[in-house]
Amino acid sequence: MRIVRRLAYWLRLSSHHADLVNEVEFHRALVEQDLITRGMSPAAARIEARRTMGNDTVMREEARAVWLWPSLEALWQDATYTIRDLRRNPTFTIGVALTLALGIGANAAMFSLIDRLLFRPPPFMVDPSTVQQVYMYRTSQGKESGTGGQYARYADMARYSTAFSQAAGVRLKGLAVGVGEGTRVRSVAIVSAGFFGFFDAPPVLGRYYTPTEDALPDPAPVAVLSHALWTTQFGARRDVLGATLRIDAVEYTIIGVAPKGFVGLWPYRPPVAFVPLATYARSEGPPDWATTYGHSFGIDPIVRRKPNVTITQASADLTNALRRSYQAQYQGNPAGAPLDRLRPRAVAASVLAERGPEPSSALRPARWLAGVTVIVLLIAAANVANLLLARAIRRRREIAVRLALGVSRRRLFGQLLTEGVILALVGGAAGVALAVWGGRVLSATFLPGTEPVSIITDARTLGFSALIALGIGLVTGMAPMAQLARTSLVADLKSGPREGTHGRSRLRTSLLLLQSALSVVLLVGAGLFVQSLRNVRDVRLGFDADSVLVVELEMRDVRLDSAATVALRLRLLEAAKSVPGVSHASLRESIPFAGMSSYPLRVAGVDSVRALGEFHTNAVSAEYFAAMGTRILRGRGFETTDRGETRPVMVVGESMANALWPGKDPIDQCVRVGLDSMPPCRYVVGVAEDIHSESIEPELKLFFYYMPALQWKPQEGGLFVRAAGEASAIAEPLRRALQREMPGTAFVTVNPMGSIVGAKMRSWIVGATLFTAFGVLALVLAAVGLYSVIAYNVTQRKHELGVRLALGAGRFGVVRLVVMESLRFALAGVAIGTGVALAAGKWIGPLLFDQSPRDVVVFGTVTVVLVCVAIVASWVPALRAARLDPKTALQAD
Amino acid sequence: MGLDKSETRAEFPIVYRWKHALPSAPPAELLPGTLDLLILRTLVRGSNHGYGIAQRVKELSRDVFQVGESSLYPALQRLTLNGYVKPEWGVSDNNRRARYYTLTPAGRKQLAAEEREFERIVAAIRLVLELA
Repeated sequence: MRIVRRLAYWLRLSSHHADLVNEVEFHRALVEQDLITRGMSPAAARIEARRTMGNDTVMREEARAVWLWPSLEALWQDATYTIRDLRRNPTFTIGVALTLALGIGANAAMFSLIDRLLFRPPPFMVDPSTVQQVYMYRTSQGKESGTGGQYARYADMARYSTAFSQAAGVRLKGLAVGVGEGTRVRSVAIVSAGFFGFFDAPPVLGRYYTPTEDALPDPAPVAVLSHALWTTQFGARRDVLGATLRIDAVEYTIIGVAPKGFVGLWPYRPPVAFVPLATYARSEGPPDWATTYGHSFGIDPIVRRKPNVTITQASADLTNALRRSYQAQYQGNPAGAPLDRLRPRAVAASVLAERGPEPSSALRPARWLAGVTVIVLLIAAANVANLLLARAIRRRREIAVRLALGVSRRRLFGQLLTEGVILALVGGAAGVALAVWGGRVLSATFLPGTEPVSIITDARTLGFSALIALGIGLVTGMAPMAQLARTSLVADLKSGPREGTHGRSRLRTSLLLLQSALSVVLLVGAGLFVQSLRNVRDVRLGFDADSVLVVELEMRDVRLDSAATVALRLRLLEAAKSVPGVSHASLRESIPFAGMSSYPLRVAGVDSVRALGEFHTNAVSAEYFAAMGTRILRGRGFETTDRGETRPVMVVGESMANALWPGKDPIDQCVRVGLDSMPPCRYVVGVAEDIHSESIEPELKLFFYYMPALQWKPQEGGLFVRAAGEASAIAEPLRRALQREMPGTAFVTVNPMGSIVGAKMRSWIVGATLFTAFGVLALVLAAVGLYSVIAYNVTQRKHELGVRLALGAGRFGVVRLVVMESLRFALAGVAIGTGVALAAGKWIGPLLFDQSPRDVVVFGTVTVVLVCVAIVASWVPALRAARLDPKTALQAD
Repeated sequence: MGLDKSETRAEFPIVYRWKHALPSAPPAELLPGTLDLLILRTLVRGSNHGYGIAQRVKELSRDVFQVGESSLYPALQRLTLNGYVKPEWGVSDNNRRARYYTLTPAGRKQLAAEEREFERIVAAIRLVLELA
């Protein structure tokens, strides 16, 4: 009943207000009359009546508060007041909103990225916290390394473990899908039938394959299409069931289509189809594919823990299962499995690859970037707090008057807080818009090849943004509140520039110093990364990656004997050389940066070649050195005369020559390559410059040598092709020319060498780009903050400056005064920031390349930049100060 | 406790005219929650406006309770919200528009309840004062 009355009251609010006013007026009139009858004069009576009535406004508010929920009414009033006020000062509002948008937007985009890398489970997965990926390790020669991948090992783990309710084997592989011209290498998920039981994703068409179809002795060649492939390549036709799809060497029959958005465990490389594990293993592996431990298919087991099984218990159970698997493996061996030496170990890790024991290279810079975006947010918040504080100080007198009129401090706090929160929400909304754009950029940089998730529909990121916005609103609202708490009414009522003292707020100064210091830190980081990147690009790899294309042969189900394969390779070599735009082409067995071959070596006079380091090799044809741009330093390269029948030769790298034959001439030295008991001597005919074969960092114990392709495994490998001009220009013509030579369903892939090398440089490129972007952002924010403080100070000091000008200070003196103040801020910020950057140097050191984190040049440049920015930021206020007319300034209030 | 106003007045010659009302004993603080009770009680005999209610309470309590406007009107609003009184615009004695409050049946019931409660409390206090 009361609620009804409340609502009725609320509906006719203004008339009720008027009623109350009249009623109180009537009361007052009667009091006045009463006093007159007692003998007061009418004038005195009126004053007395008003006095005894007490604070009218407070009473009316209290009366109203009975009816309405006062806090709500207060909130509404504050909100409307704030919005009116903000609309009256558009520059202030836009400045604050933009600043916040930048800070919040950057963080929202970063959060979305980190969320996807670290937190978000694969879509459709049931109860992801109980699902684990199994990593297996064993020790060999004292070093522990990863193992596993065999079908037999996966089957053993499934059989011998007891702590799990579900198990499946998974492998994501790039396979040739389709036939003929339309063949493309795509991600295909090779999964056991139990895999689909981990998810709640019923197929939109057909069905998933069953364990009987995925089992020995005769696994069925059936496949499930992804929704994306179904729509793009099969036109979403409902009659696609029963059609066939050729994947790698097998013709699969389509039995179902997965629902939209189902990507298995791989949101970053969505598979186009799902095929049974056993079927693939049988087609790809040796005849004993199901039982051999010698052939790895790269299968990873995933398991679901039974309820009440902890992760440690799960890992222990898996280790046990692995041990039993090894025992089964060594069953025939009288000595049994050497478990003490091998020390097999299994770990149940998160199914999110980035949280597992082997996070990818995308995560480390992502973590740093998250820290950087938080710093940017702090700078933005400091800026906004500064601006709000300045405004609060300007309104000191207004606030004092309101306090004197009887507004409670709590109410005023509430109003300031509302102001902060509304500004933050506006900034947050703008920030989300910014984040949508920024998120796409971040996605493309960190996770190339994935679909960027729309931030608008991403509830977690939206929630996160709202949370930061509210947090920032509260924090920045507190700055003026701190100012308000210290108001003394009398002083403020009389306040004005004529006070004489410069009312410098310590809070504002420290905020400004914080901003400058943080900007310095970010800029130093940017400088270091940019230098690193330059160093990385300057590294001489020993070959010209940018001009070279890598050709790889995918034989699929075409089986040629070695003689036919050799002939094919030679035909391809000739075809490549005849393509216009190609300057050189060479056979090759391995690819630098993408896996090099290594064989045991024996050299006369050297006890253990292996102790000197690792020796990588490539088997190449005559034009190799010209094609790759690797210089020959001594002797000769290879010629067409170096063939199977002629003397076995090799070319060694420079450091290899120095390591094996220090001080001696390496030409004509004998090296035996291979596992045979006594392989023939290979004679060194030349010394080539060193190359980087694995990474951009200096490779100290890594040596390199070359053998002629026709003298060593001539049927293995592909080609290197050098373009006379741009490598990308001839990629497609080359591919088509080579494809014509390929038999049957076999095909070639052509990729620029630059992208293989570029992938290694990615983390530095990413670091440099993003640090620079954020560093500049931070600088802009700090400059805006500096400008606002200096401008405000000038306005406050108008009176004082007028006095100075009147007393004879030159205009230039006044300008210098203002600029010096700005410089003082900047230099103080630089000092603090430099200190912090030096201290943080040891954490950033490992991310840099050939670059000390204490580079004087970088620090010096940043200092100069900040000083210039400080001068520029103070320029306009300084000019304004110089143009003051002393007369008006002195009279100003 | 205090001198009766009329007695004091009688002792002095009429040449003096008091400029202000003679204060008797200082007004006392109302026990919390009793204001509503008093207001309801004064309205039993008929409706009244705010000033009238305050005057009546002042007279009947012999100036002990002087209800200020700052507490009177919020209390009246509260009583209206709870449905114990009903305000209506009417014309006062001196032909001015005033808001009159009337006791509703619910108000009467509430008055009886509050009176009972008040008696109970007072009796309890008395017991403690006498027997402790």
